[in-house]
Amino acid sequence: MSATRIHSQPKSWLWGTLTSIRLTVFLLLILAAVAVIGTVVPQNQPQNHYVSRFGEVWGQLLWLGGFTQVYFSPWFLGPISLLAANILACVVHGLPQAINRAGQRLTVETALTLPERGQITWPAGVDPQPLIEATLSRELGHCRQETLPDQKVYLREKGRFRPVGPYLIHIALLMILAGGLIGKLWGVDGQLAIDQGEVAGAFQVGPRVEKPLNFQVRLDKFQVSYYEPGGSPKEFRSDLTFMQDGREVSRATCRVNEPVTFGGLTFYQSSYGSQATGPIRLKVQLGDLSESIEAPLRQPADLPGGRGKIIPMKVDGNFQGYGPAVLLAFSPGSGHPQVFWTLKDRPGLGQQPGPYRFTVESIPFGYYSVFQVKHDPGVAWVYAGFLLFLPGLYLAFFRPAERWALVLAKTSKGKWQGRLLGASPRNREEFAARQERLLMELKRGMPS
Amino acid sequence: MISQILGGVMLIYLLAAILFLMAELWSSARLKGAGRVTLWLGLGLHTGALLGRWWESYHLALGHTPAAAWSEKLQLIIIQVPLSNFYESLIFFAWCLPGLGLLAFRRHLQGYLGAVVALLASLLLAYASFGVDSTIKPLMPALKSNWLLIHVVTAFLGYAAFALACGTAILYLFQERRPRASLPPLPQLDSLIYRTTVLGFLLLTLGIATGAVWAETAWGRYWSWDPKETWSLITWFIYAALLHARLLKGWHGRRIAWLAVLGFMAVLFTYFGVSFLLSGLHSYLT
Repeated sequence: MSATRIHSQPKSWLWGTLTSIRLTVFLLLILAAVAVIGTVVPQNQPQNHYVSRFGEVWGQLLWLGGFTQVYFSPWFLGPISLLAANILACVVHGLPQAINRAGQRLTVETALTLPERGQITWPAGVDPQPLIEATLSRELGHCRQETLPDQKVYLREKGRFRPVGPYLIHIALLMILAGGLIGKLWGVDGQLAIDQGEVAGAFQVGPRVEKPLNFQVRLDKFQVSYYEPGGSPKEFRSDLTFMQDGREVSRATCRVNEPVTFGGLTFYQSSYGSQATGPIRLKVQLGDLSESIEAPLRQPADLPGGRGKIIPMKVDGNFQGYGPAVLLAFSPGSGHPQVFWTLKDRPGLGQQPGPYRFTVESIPFGYYSVFQVKHDPGVAWVYAGFLLFLPGLYLAFFRPAERWALVLAKTSKGKWQGRLLGASPRNREEFAARQERLLMELKRGMPS
Repeated sequence: MISQILGGVMLIYLLAAILFLMAELWSSARLKGAGRVTLWLGLGLHTGALLGRWWESYHLALGHTPAAAWSEKLQLIIIQVPLSNFYESLIFFAWCLPGLGLLAFRRHLQGYLGAVVALLASLLLAYASFGVDSTIKPLMPALKSNWLLIHVVTAFLGYAAFALACGTAILYLFQERRPRASLPPLPQLDSLIYRTTVLGFLLLTLGIATGAVWAETAWGRYWSWDPKETWSLITWFIYAALLHARLLKGWHGRRIAWLAVLGFMAVLFTYFGVSFLLSGLHSYLT
């Protein structure tokens, strides 16, 4: 994009538009607007969510208009593809020129065309060369010297590769976008839910679509631990065994931030849960009455005394770090059911509605663990783009081009005369400061 | 203890802002020097408080996860960096302003510019002290990563650089309307806006990239269109537009200043707006 249109060479309208910065700004604005919509309208929700939240008309419009998956809709994919084309066109348009410029070392001929910044004439008999060499190497670093028949030229050039910087940045952006596309086209992304102890040979890649693994994976054990009972979770840990044709090949532990890779697929700890493997045994007390009952999950069980029913809604293997628990719904004969957690190991904790008092005798349960399973060949492209970005930014913004030349010649009266030439179009301030210092240093020690 | 020190730092920054303003009003070199010294003092104490909280956080974690080998300890130190909740992010943001300001503005960080930076840092600390829960909580599993340090540090240094650019831009707009001899001349302000924007752009890019790499290891997705990610991208677009306008179209002065202000509005929304108004992967911040 740092290539401006060259008007002397008439190009087609299409090419002119594609390489224009106006198109870039226009696309960035559209993309920003679409992204704003994407953060305000919740994404990937079911249709009725939008109708209930935004009303019949707006909900339908958002749904049908693709705004509920806006980053995968033409509203987003259109401008982003055009942006990619825009960036590519700018790179194709300007990169050869930039490389060409970077490849040209500062020659004496070019240096002599730089604007003059000052003149110094040393008195007769003084050889200024040691002073010049010391000053230039201190202020500018190592300088090249070229000796011509009647003059000597010191050359110094910094930031010669700066013109390439912006193109590296834009190539990096293209690589990142390409990585996204490669991942979409050739990547695999799915979910795998395994019960503890179970062996899986396939994972879900879409609603009701399974993809076979070319190996088997077994969840040996799932554990969730808390910093303290009632505190926040400390670790979700799945111990996995990978098997080939029923033979154990390797074992690995998968945690959040510690994915496991096997057979070209990477497993990320995504979520977990626990489910009942049999009826829950409860001790029910009402006054002096005390009785054990068995209640299967999500089925109403009659209570002794006939004053209502109990339904175990769900089980949790380690409820907030307090150990196994069951969510009970107590439904009295009339009125609303009341829902409450009952802990197996801490029967005293938690409120119960009464008149019954429930304690848990046993909760047969098993954990399951859910993994994000994926293979994304685009990630390498994205990371390579990130890495390329850094030298690009460095060259573009932190290495301003600066050219200096000091032309030393003998005047007819035998005195040495120096002319300081130089330019730095993008870094005038620092250039001016350096110029002042250089001239001052070069004049030092001269009788005024 | 550390919260009290930070309360003191808030007052010191406030004092620095007042000294800078007074130095400006009475054009007193002595007050200006006092302002600089006060700002440095505040920054020193602030740094100490940050390190103290890091130490405390590390020792709390050591209680939960005993570490014996030095490599385990080092790992624990890295992930226990005090950048894991809203309070800690505010404290660090407030630290970045004078820290980065002294680095980027050097001797220009005085007068109105110094007062703006010191006052902003003081306000952030005041908000953190009075409005936000300051207890140290153990890390949730998703945050236990070496990427936490580099991701949050780059992102907030970027935010701070944009804050400096915005503050300078506001001064530019004032200076343009009613020139004052005491403020730096317009071209100098313009150049400071540009420099801080470039710095912020570099840091924001690093923040987004490190965040993407982290997300890839944590969730298997380098980009999820989480609201914070999306807004950081919108912010990035705005600053990219600013840099293109300046470098290719030669925009200078007022238009760049307004873009810097607009960009910082997007930064503020990315930081506060997304945390409070939209939910997503970064919602543990609140």
